[in-house]
Amino acid sequence: MAETVPQANTVNPEISRRSFLKLGWGALLGFFASSTGATLRFIFPNVLYEPPQTFKAGHPDEYPMGVSTKWTKEQRVWIVRNEAGIYALWARCTHLGCTPNWFQAENRFRCPCHGSNYTTQGDVIAGPAPKPLYRCGIRLLASGEILIDKSVLEGRPVLREKDQFFVKLA
Amino acid sequence: MKLPFQIPPIPTFEEAKKMVIDSQIWRSIFRGGVWKDTPRDRAQHILGNVWLHLHPSRVRKHVIDWKYTLGLGGLSFFLFLILTVTGVLLMFYYRPSVELAYRDMKDLEYAVSLGSFLRAMHRWSAHAMVLIVILHMIRVFLTGSYKTPREFNWVIGVILLVVTLFLSFTGYLLPWDQLALWAVTVGTNMASASPMLGAEGPFAILGRSNDVRFVLLGGTAVGANTLLRFYVLHCVFVPLIAGALMMLHFWRVRKDMLSGPPITPQELPHDKVDAWPHLVVREYLAAIGCMIFITVWSILQNAPLEEIANPTVTPNPSKAPWYFLGLQELLVYFDPWIAGVVLPTLIMVGLMAIPYIDPDKNKGVGRYSIKERPLASTYFLFGCAMWFVLIFIGTVLRGPNWDIYMPWESWTIHKAPPPPTWSLPLWAGLLTVGGYFAVGMALPLLMKADFEWKKALRNGLLVVVGIACIAKLGANLHWEQMIWIILFLYMYYILGVLVPRRHLVNQPKQRYFITMILVLMMMGVLMKMGVRLGFHVKYVLTLPQFQLNI
Repeated sequence: MAETVPQANTVNPEISRRSFLKLGWGALLGFFASSTGATLRFIFPNVLYEPPQTFKAGHPDEYPMGVSTKWTKEQRVWIVRNEAGIYALWARCTHLGCTPNWFQAENRFRCPCHGSNYTTQGDVIAGPAPKPLYRCGIRLLASGEILIDKSVLEGRPVLREKDQFFVKLA
Repeated sequence: MKLPFQIPPIPTFEEAKKMVIDSQIWRSIFRGGVWKDTPRDRAQHILGNVWLHLHPSRVRKHVIDWKYTLGLGGLSFFLFLILTVTGVLLMFYYRPSVELAYRDMKDLEYAVSLGSFLRAMHRWSAHAMVLIVILHMIRVFLTGSYKTPREFNWVIGVILLVVTLFLSFTGYLLPWDQLALWAVTVGTNMASASPMLGAEGPFAILGRSNDVRFVLLGGTAVGANTLLRFYVLHCVFVPLIAGALMMLHFWRVRKDMLSGPPITPQELPHDKVDAWPHLVVREYLAAIGCMIFITVWSILQNAPLEEIANPTVTPNPSKAPWYFLGLQELLVYFDPWIAGVVLPTLIMVGLMAIPYIDPDKNKGVGRYSIKERPLASTYFLFGCAMWFVLIFIGTVLRGPNWDIYMPWESWTIHKAPPPPTWSLPLWAGLLTVGGYFAVGMALPLLMKADFEWKKALRNGLLVVVGIACIAKLGANLHWEQMIWIILFLYMYYILGVLVPRRHLVNQPKQRYFITMILVLMMMGVLMKMGVRLGFHVKYVLTLPQFQLNI
């Protein structure tokens, strides 16, 4: 009989069963989404205990013409001196991050992992590397020493010749 | 002297065994009534045992034929068990910190009783597991065991293969030696080359200090956080996932029945045999054999340990373990995100797609049936062969500076640097790649259907050699370049034209399209390698804006 069937909206006509369930499912979805988000955020560390990225590399006149591997083992940087000045190459292959080796006789860097070859300028001449080597930030301190900053990097041809990455020497 | 009691006669071995088995203790542990070795008892032995009840109580005869499964799936699981036990034992002596990890390895090698043996066993079991899992996949393919209703279990199997590789990858950072550091450096740099998510990939929206590599490393370079992360992944996280997936995998094997040829009306119920002892004993025998092999191997051959990790000096050459050397070799020929992200994804997707695009729906299930399924077999086996060729090149033919060294050449010889490479201009690249896929897609459709196989092979060879001769005279090529041309054109002619013409053209359009795309890409990878090795072409198509360098 019709009058004994309970009505859906007898308790509170403002909230229908449908909208209540929508809210409930929405809240559950929101809970899972924010839990995932929070977990993701959690695995990004806020504080790193990594070694400092700057170091003093002595006076420019300590470096003869050409590539110096003096700092490779300690700081992973090659110092390159040419006619015009001095710059620092970060010894990290732009392909997948191995340390290339310097070959004086062939006048090039060669990477042991996938065979990329670079000129002293840092340009790729063979192998799979997609980009030139990065140059580190470099400047002359008042004391006459060079300060090298590995956190500032530039590999693009014209930009890497700017003062920030190149110390001009008379 | 007369004893106050009778000494019972010493029982024979069989009698003693029966006394033990019939005792209340034994029966309370293993359930079931007094053992009379009836079929009911044997069924009860399987059904009443939580470990064994994964088996059906009775199995069809082919299941116990060792030549059918070769026991490969079971051995994969057994190796996982060995790895769990040896791994847990090694954890007692290992601390995942940069200062201590390598020292603990040295202690395991020289100061802990049987430490080096356990480490060797863990290492070699891991290598064996990767190999056995791959072989298991090949076996399942060859016997058509991935077909309806087992398609999705094949997909789970492919995921388990990836998980197995990831387990070994996370494991080899832990010794904190040079291999560890550089393998993980290269691997995580590949991750940072992925599109969107990586700082160095195309469409990068994240930086070095918030991209996917940063999460993996817990920093910007491999360091203390990385070691701890990989330790947790290796010892807890990935094994849990592997375990869950394995349960799913085994449960589905059981629910879909152990694969076999379709049941015929002639096959009677008594063509089945009891799983206990016939199947279970064979499994135990395979496990014992495997255990003996791994033990002997680990006694004879210690696990390698390189120098302590040095983040500034890369060993020359720096080689990944054998199962990743195919990937390392691929990385030489393409932009990192293509070789390191796109191609592995495509390989996995391609493998997972096999049950769904195989045209021979229910043909050749439950027996070695390569010839009955020519299309699927040709491409799958070609792909596997190609992968092992890549591994061979990476393992045997690569030396210092990643130069090509023949096996008989000493690595102390210094090789001249590789000649400069060149790339095709953009228009030529687009034309080549676009043309390759367009023509490749159309050629099998255009060729006439009723060709004679042998004649087509012979005529094709003549045409290919002709083209190579013209190219040699016209462009003044070297002999080896001419051989490259013949090799790759002929391979393309057989696998890209003849085989699809005969076995694929009559398929529905979508299936033809998807299969041909995968086949053309597979051969394209090989042809690109040839073009680099033979003609020093760096990239055929290069769009630096999107790092689309192929």
